[in-house]
Amino acid sequence: MHKFLTLLVDGLTTGALYALLALGYSMVYGVLKLLNFAHGDLYMIGAFIGYFVIQWFGGSTALSIPVPLLLVIMFGLAAASTGLLGVAIERFAYRPLRDAPRIAPLITALGVSFFLENAVLLLFGSQTKIYNTSDFISFNGGIHIGPLNIDLVRIMIIVLAIALMIGLRLLVDRTKLGKQMRAVAADREAAEMLGINVDFTIAATFFLGSALAGVAGVMSGLVFNQVYNLIGFVAGLKAFTAAVVGGIGSIAGAVLGGFIIGLAESFITGYVSPTYTNLIVFGILIAVLILRPSGLLGRVTLQKV
Amino acid sequence: MKGRSMIATLALLALFAAGCGSSSSSSSSSSSSSASSNTTASSGGGSSSCTASLGFEGPITGPVAQLGAEQLHFAQLAIATDNAANHTNIALVQGDTQLQPAQATTVTQQFVANSKILGVVGPAGSQEVAAVGPLFGRAGIPFITGSATNSALTAGKNPTFFRVVSRDDVQGPQDAHYIISKLHPKAIMIVDDQEAYSTGLVSAMTPVFKAAGITVDHESVSQKLTDFSSLVAKVGGSTSVVVLPWQVAANAQQFGKNLAEQKKNAVIFGTDGLFSPGQFTVTGSYVSSFGPDITAIPSDASIASAAKAKYGSFGTFGPPVYAATHVLDMAIATACKSGSPSRSSVLAAVKTTNEPSTILGQPISFTSTGDLQGGKFFLFKIAKGGKYNLIPSS
Repeated sequence: MHKFLTLLVDGLTTGALYALLALGYSMVYGVLKLLNFAHGDLYMIGAFIGYFVIQWFGGSTALSIPVPLLLVIMFGLAAASTGLLGVAIERFAYRPLRDAPRIAPLITALGVSFFLENAVLLLFGSQTKIYNTSDFISFNGGIHIGPLNIDLVRIMIIVLAIALMIGLRLLVDRTKLGKQMRAVAADREAAEMLGINVDFTIAATFFLGSALAGVAGVMSGLVFNQVYNLIGFVAGLKAFTAAVVGGIGSIAGAVLGGFIIGLAESFITGYVSPTYTNLIVFGILIAVLILRPSGLLGRVTLQKV
Repeated sequence: MKGRSMIATLALLALFAAGCGSSSSSSSSSSSSSASSNTTASSGGGSSSCTASLGFEGPITGPVAQLGAEQLHFAQLAIATDNAANHTNIALVQGDTQLQPAQATTVTQQFVANSKILGVVGPAGSQEVAAVGPLFGRAGIPFITGSATNSALTAGKNPTFFRVVSRDDVQGPQDAHYIISKLHPKAIMIVDDQEAYSTGLVSAMTPVFKAAGITVDHESVSQKLTDFSSLVAKVGGSTSVVVLPWQVAANAQQFGKNLAEQKKNAVIFGTDGLFSPGQFTVTGSYVSSFGPDITAIPSDASIASAAKAKYGSFGTFGPPVYAATHVLDMAIATACKSGSPSRSSVLAAVKTTNEPSTILGQPISFTSTGDLQGGKFFLFKIAKGGKYNLIPSS
């Protein structure tokens, strides 16, 4: 039983990260119909910012501020920086191509991804940076019942991720900005004719999605410890899979897809073999797309002819 | 418009500020990252007519870039030293393989087409050597690795391949016997990282464990995986040793963190790539390495201090590459004595290499298949604080 619970918590942790990342993919796809392949790299940059905050305040073994304050600064700075970077990417790389053929912004997104990966390589070097989270958040925290050991960091990540998802849902459902985002997603031209500032709405969408990616990056550093310039690639690929499984464009679908992929990875690794993890995960993707091409919670788009 | 430009500028500034604020703590290997394309390094200032180029193949970027950077630095150091000592004018052409066989193949084709290149240092990984060996063989270019240990590489398919490190079928059984006789496990978990280097070592160790009656749980993970918590959940109560023949030290560090997180007491026994004092620091772990810690070899003091002064701290991946580069430098110098050096004359000189003392603390000469004569491995145990202590390997 303890093994099952351990794997469940592992799956929820990974799933929460995938879900936060998948939200960004889904939101951007919703308003622009763009697959933003640079999204995983914002996650990477968020992880780097978290690492540098630890260093600024003395390093993992000699922190000069209390841990809760450190975490607030890490998450806050990462969210703000990646959010603004996302806005900048949208402004300079994607907006000029908004009315271009669909392939142009797609290729640009790949270019932005490579640009960010290599810019970070040049700025911060090639060596993997280590958070060493256990130096300042002890493994003795958390839940320890008999052979069951659940780290405090994992509990914190799951709770924070779920809170952010609920917050985003409320923002989209109940605020003016959320209404504008939904209107732009439904029909950009009609939204513009109704007086909605489309540019601002799209920029706000990028800010929110990118900020969530930055927060997920810090979470990743805290729980997986290592950061280097390519960590966004695999995470981004898995999150994109999660968004597609859940139904790209759907916020609830992105969350569901993230947790499905995370839990599937964990239980397959723990009960079958890590050798088959990716095989089965991407098998799930193929099966979902065959049975339900719009994803589990995606809506079928009707096209008038 | 102005406001939006300001937002973009702020975002970029935040990124740069993050980097600048931590410059003192960022890695020392950043200098290598700007050299990811093929560039020619400076030669050592030799003034003779003995002019040639060597290729360098290593993972200058990618997930094991810190190892590639170390290898590149030691190759550059050897070239500079040998150029000055031999009055040669040898240049180094860099090729970034990212530890990917496909990328190594592309780089190799460029090297083969470059007639100035008479020999190659690298590649780093066994999987890359397997991919590029036939290409170098066809072109008659000698290539010497400082880290590829898969036993099958010298089975006859790569006639111009040499290595200055020993083989998996020496390391694997040696490590397995040490684990059996000193750590006395009833059950072990052995995890490969799906690369030829790793699977080769697993193949060499597993029969020894099974013959000793030890229960072996063989697992396999991608090198790109960064969370091992689910895998660690499979480590049973009777499993007291986890063998990680991996190339990425940061992954092993995370595996150790996951073991601690789940309060599991299994000891990690790693190989080669895990020798990384700044990255893999799990107390009580063992690391078996093809390279010695040259800071502990008195005759290497000048090289070690020069390397540290120029490039910062280093592990065991650089010194074998220094030795490999030195062998090629000397082969070119020898070939120059009898006229203009060529790939065939350099190859012939490499085959007859006989260096009684080297940076590795052991002689270098090659068998007819390119293996190092009398190669050995070194065993380290990690003490508290991440210090690596050399211990007897038998």
